[in-house]
Amino acid sequence: MAVTQHIAGQGAQPDAAEPPLAAERERNFWKWLLSLPALLILIFAASGPLLIVVVYSILTPAEYGGVVWEISGRAWFQVFFRRDIFDPDEVTLNWSHLSVFWRSVSLAFQTTVICAILGFPTAWFISTRPPGQREIWLLLITIPFWTNLVIRTFAIQEVIRNQGVVNSLLMNLNIIHSPIQMMYTDFAILIGMAYVFLPLMVLPVFAAMDKLDVRLLEAGYDLYASRWEVLRRIVFPLVRPGFIAGSILVFIPSIGSYVTPRLLGGGRNMMLSNLIELQFGQGRNWPLGAALALALLVIVLVALVFYLRTIGGDEEKRHG
Amino acid sequence: MADTTGRAASATNEIEIKRLSKVFWQGDAAFRALDEVTIGIRSGEFFTLLGPSGCGKTTLLRLIAGFEQPSAGEVIINGRQVAGLGPNARPVNTVFQNYALFPHMTVADNIGFGLRMLGKSAAVVRETTGRMLELVRMEAMAARKPSEISGGQQQRVALARALAPQPRVLLLDEPLSALDLKLRKEMQSELKRLQTETGITFVFVTHDQHEALTMSDRIAVMSGGRILQSGSPADIYNHPAERFVADFIGDTNFLDVEIVAVNGRAADVRLPGGGTRRASLPEGLSPSAGTNVTIVIRPEHASITDEAADFEGTVEDAVFFGTDTHVHLRLPGESRFTLRRQNTGAGAVALPEGSRVGVRVAEGGIQVLRN
Ligand SMILES: Nc1ncnc2c1ncn2[C@@H]1O[C@H](COP(=O)(O)OP(=O)(O)OP(=O)(O)O)[C@@H](O)[C@H]1O
Ligand SMILES: [Mg+2]
Repeated sequence: MAVTQHIAGQGAQPDAAEPPLAAERERNFWKWLLSLPALLILIFAASGPLLIVVVYSILTPAEYGGVVWEISGRAWFQVFFRRDIFDPDEVTLNWSHLSVFWRSVSLAFQTTVICAILGFPTAWFISTRPPGQREIWLLLITIPFWTNLVIRTFAIQEVIRNQGVVNSLLMNLNIIHSPIQMMYTDFAILIGMAYVFLPLMVLPVFAAMDKLDVRLLEAGYDLYASRWEVLRRIVFPLVRPGFIAGSILVFIPSIGSYVTPRLLGGGRNMMLSNLIELQFGQGRNWPLGAALALALLVIVLVALVFYLRTIGGDEEKRHG
Repeated sequence: MADTTGRAASATNEIEIKRLSKVFWQGDAAFRALDEVTIGIRSGEFFTLLGPSGCGKTTLLRLIAGFEQPSAGEVIINGRQVAGLGPNARPVNTVFQNYALFPHMTVADNIGFGLRMLGKSAAVVRETTGRMLELVRMEAMAARKPSEISGGQQQRVALARALAPQPRVLLLDEPLSALDLKLRKEMQSELKRLQTETGITFVFVTHDQHEALTMSDRIAVMSGGRILQSGSPADIYNHPAERFVADFIGDTNFLDVEIVAVNGRAADVRLPGGGTRRASLPEGLSPSAGTNVTIVIRPEHASITDEAADFEGTVEDAVFFGTDTHVHLRLPGESRFTLRRQNTGAGAVALPEGSRVGVRVAEGGIQVLRN
């Protein structure tokens, strides 16, 4: 009875719709005003520099760095192609650039996969600790963040270089007789990036697991699922959002990595950021640097859209 | 009352629980959540664990399901020791208090989950799921997600999901506690119908005495990790053996009386006015004449009478409750007594405060308590 009266009471006030409109307008005004600082930052700190980069990428390089205000498509041409030094009419693909693109995408992808594979058990381990210990483990996971990236990378170097921890150990145990060359390889870069970015995967995956109701797992066991089936059919689908967030958080900084490939990959195994830096530094070709930077941006955006599309489409199929 | 020990008729017992204990450790402190529980649950019965919050009902259920391992004692399901078997290896399914439906699966996929895990063919899964949907009247919602159906509907799905693999035993942990009163009443009869239709043994947990009394074939009353008494609802209600049981179920008068004579399973007790009446003795108690015991008299087992009164009392007040009136009396020796008069409409005698009335207790309405 009380419920019916309540509903009837609400329905009996049709004129109550008038005031909210004005209130809504006022609320909208405040919403805009309050988001103004964020908008300003977005315009001046993000869009502004981006605009400068776009403009630089279509100008002509000055002799000692900087740009000459003369529109030119050369930088964009150079991103993908090269002209023979002796025969300017002979145009070939610029394989040295393309291989850097490929290395960047491939290493970032591999880093993401490694982080996902290592991140899952790590997050699982933390989320299954008793409440008091969980915070300690989370803190431990974030400790590397407190240390300077360069120092952490040197630490990795110390582990994998020819006279480093791993090689000395293996040689002392007589498992190998000459050191395994790990430094200055893609493998070294991969290890370095996985190490640096792992927490970015662990934290969102942990957050998703933390929300997981243990009773769902118990319900799974109760309904004759094995441990593996519970993991596959209940845990994985429910922590997916954590993996998606983690993958994006790892992939984007990985593909733009600078310090790690520089220190662990040596001069040869460049990634995109190193190539870009080269153009702004020794190369003295600012427009090419700008064009490469934009190419990196486009790759990230395309990858992101592609990723979210497939995941999102998947989700729709599963939930629709 | 003979089954309080749980030893009777073990041949037909679906679940046999023997001296089962569960101790939880919190640091160095031990907490005994279950204390030597022994009970037999018969095949195909609606068995209810009734008790206040924290008495160990859920713990007992979780030990039967296999979510927890016992500290001592054993659980035998269908004649088989289940120690060390996980929940996925026991022929029991659980309906969880919060339903625990898989949020990423449709209603139909939830219901079919157990069957798929058992490796049943797609055709069998589809056919059984359809049958279960029909059983709980949820055909129209098969494609929805748990978040898209109401609490009562989620309840039905949880039930169907647990029933689909056709377990020997269904464990239900306060499955109705989240529902509002109307839905609750509806689901009570629904549950009872399902139990009768499927013939599956139900072990049902509740702290609601009315739910327990109306639905169960047998009830076990728990307190502080122990089973105090088990028996049919009428048995538990009419012949409570302990003060806690009498107090927890229904309204009760407690009177301290003296045993006059013992006569097998019955005893003559001296009532407040001085007269003696025959009372039932609880299992395992045979007091000698002259000892003091507590007796229980249900308010509706006593009536106001003009002749042959067992004892007299002074009316303190009479509270009208619609179908009946609760009359509060003061007895000689300062004890209080409440009786319940059916309001028949015509000729109800007014009971002014301070008037003296005679009270007659119905035959078999007096029960001696163990403590
Ligand atoms: N994992 C645990 N660790 C420590 N103590 C526990 C644990 N599980 C239960 N207990 C304790 O055991 C006792 C019994 O708990 P249980 O959940 O069985 O009670 P219950 O009868 O189901 O109560 P309710 O009606 O409130 O659900 C409680 O005092 C509880 O605090
Ligand atoms: Mg409980």
